[in-house]
Amino acid sequence: MLRLEALTLSYGDRKVIKDLSLSIEQGEKVAIVGASGVGKSTLLAHIYTQLNSQAAYCAQSQGLVDALSVFHNVYMGALARHHFGYNLLNLIRPQTHRINEVSELCSALLLDVALNKTVSELSGGQRQRVALARALYQQQSTFIGDESFSSLDPVMAQQLIAQVLSRHPTVIMVLHDCQMALNYFDRIVGLQDGEIALDAPSQILQPEHLIAFFDRKVGSVSDNGG
Amino acid sequence: MGDKVRFFGPWQRLTAQLWLLALVALLFADIEVISVDPWAELSRLALGVISPDFFATEFLLSALWQTVNFALLGVAFGIVLGGPLALVYQHPFVAASCAMVRGVHELFWALLFLQIFGLSPLTGILAIGLPYGATFARVFHDILAQSPSTTERGLPFNTDPLSRYVYGRLGHVYPLMLAYIRYRFECALRSSAVLGFIGMPTLGFYLETAFRQGQYSEGAALLMLFILLIGTISLWAKKNLIPVYLLAALWTIPDIGIIDGGLLWRFVFYDLLPPGIQGVIYTQMELSDGLNQFYQWLASITINQALPGVFATVILALSALGLSHLVALIAHLVASQHSGSKYRAVAGQLGLLVLRSIPEYILAFVLMLLIGPSMLPAIIALALHNGALIAFLLVKQEQGITPSATYKKRADFFAYEILTRVYPNLMGLLFYRFEVMLRETAIFGILGVATIGFYIDSAFAEIRYSNALYLLAVTALLNVVIDFSARKLVARQVEDSIAHGRSCIT
Repeated sequence: MLRLEALTLSYGDRKVIKDLSLSIEQGEKVAIVGASGVGKSTLLAHIYTQLNSQAAYCAQSQGLVDALSVFHNVYMGALARHHFGYNLLNLIRPQTHRINEVSELCSALLLDVALNKTVSELSGGQRQRVALARALYQQQSTFIGDESFSSLDPVMAQQLIAQVLSRHPTVIMVLHDCQMALNYFDRIVGLQDGEIALDAPSQILQPEHLIAFFDRKVGSVSDNGG
Repeated sequence: MGDKVRFFGPWQRLTAQLWLLALVALLFADIEVISVDPWAELSRLALGVISPDFFATEFLLSALWQTVNFALLGVAFGIVLGGPLALVYQHPFVAASCAMVRGVHELFWALLFLQIFGLSPLTGILAIGLPYGATFARVFHDILAQSPSTTERGLPFNTDPLSRYVYGRLGHVYPLMLAYIRYRFECALRSSAVLGFIGMPTLGFYLETAFRQGQYSEGAALLMLFILLIGTISLWAKKNLIPVYLLAALWTIPDIGIIDGGLLWRFVFYDLLPPGIQGVIYTQMELSDGLNQFYQWLASITINQALPGVFATVILALSALGLSHLVALIAHLVASQHSGSKYRAVAGQLGLLVLRSIPEYILAFVLMLLIGPSMLPAIIALALHNGALIAFLLVKQEQGITPSATYKKRADFFAYEILTRVYPNLMGLLFYRFEVMLRETAIFGILGVATIGFYIDSAFAEIRYSNALYLLAVTALLNVVIDFSARKLVARQVEDSIAHGRSCIT
């Protein structure tokens, strides 16, 4: 499905991704791990441009429109599915059918807010779930997520990741939670200095193998594992 | 010994430069008090203010209603015109055309359209809508440019361009646009009222009559109702009611009448042509004779009218700039919540509302009745209106400021803690308003001050339309040049953040 050969990406004149090769097949659940600033987000954004119309992308920057309502922000995931006239109609007067779809999706993501509330009034965790809902509402076969659960508590994060995995055959996600990567994903790719330092099935890995790929100290990794 | 410690920073320097400019300008300005007995007139005016007569004209309500109508339809036309132009504003031709259209004041546009459409409401609507449309084009373009691109990048692939634009860009900034439209509607109410002075059936028409006849009680009542109208915009201009108002406006506006196509043709293709050119086209004049006559005309009007007019306009505007600075400082101190008791602040803010609601033109008109026709009434009117407006915006801005624990509500503490924080914004607003002042200065010519508007008004009165057109073009050009250089100056002195926010709060 995705094949990257000797890929190099630069940010300004700094090389972020160096000579990286990676292939991902349909149906794989891949977690990408690595310390901050190692090039995960850059790689992920590149993967999205490669897969474009087959993938939904939930970026770290979220891209929410503060002045619009929760409904409209989620509905934006469906813009490509509809005619522009219908999109404009929904902007002015949301259609019942779409409201129901968005409402269902929000409750599946434990997002209990009024759909007509503007996004600027929401908390950090709620905003993250709106961004997630928008990506899910794209209804693609592949989900690309960049730390989509970073401001949520672990219990909620686990429920949400289950939702993401059940709705998408293929999932590629940057994670900062060691245990979540091991428990929910088939394959773990570890980045170091813009290169792949680890690429292995998660069954054969232990938390200790992943220490180098997280910013935290050893103690907190085993804490999470407990 | 060692190096001298310098305390004269960029803001002090800018202020000193501003005052030097204003003082030099004042040397050239004609600021004589001509009236024989200004105090007698003033006391009669004061008497009128304390005994307003709300039943003097039966047209009072109709005047207010038509004032709202023209403002509403003018702004609506401006949005229809400026909205699409904002999308292509990056094109230099569009930007330049808009700048020229903006550079000519509503009142001059009205004088021009008056020749074509007569006293038809079309004259008023176009006169407001055209320059407002050109302003919307620029401001909407600036606002759209501020919208972040993160959302657009994350949208699903294959999203059609229109949805991408509306959800991804417009969605971010439409509150700013609405706020700006709201502000422009307030301006349009003032413009609409002033259009009465040239015969539109709005408030200015009845104001002029009342004041000219010395019926100050009636005039005061009209002004009070107008201030009330502007002060309560947020109460009556509800979002849901706007379509109703628009329909009602279309329904109750006076008849447009018949537009005479032949007259329009003659005006554009004959009357507006300068002497010489007209002769070559219509009366078999030799080309060389025609060009010669054209050159004579151009040289004469440039030397005798355009240059003296521009000089007086700039002198007046610069003097007003200096005085506006002073008024803004004092008015801010009086109306600030950080400088005195709550009651004083409320009273001060009420005063600001009154001063910023009355159009400069009407202020100058009244002052001129009191102290005679010199530049002085115009300078005072500009300074009061603009100083009050700037102070109003500063009072709004400082709501977010929390003074230190040792703060006392005194002028010295105020100067240290509050004024220093809002001063960059004050200067930014002041320079931005300079462009507006210059436009307003030009129209004081209609009141008899020898600015360029005086020559334009005379040209219309003498039915020399080619002269009027040339002088209007000079006015527009002057505004474009000043706008451009003021922008450069401010951009150098004021931080980016203020320069950006400026378009949205003024």
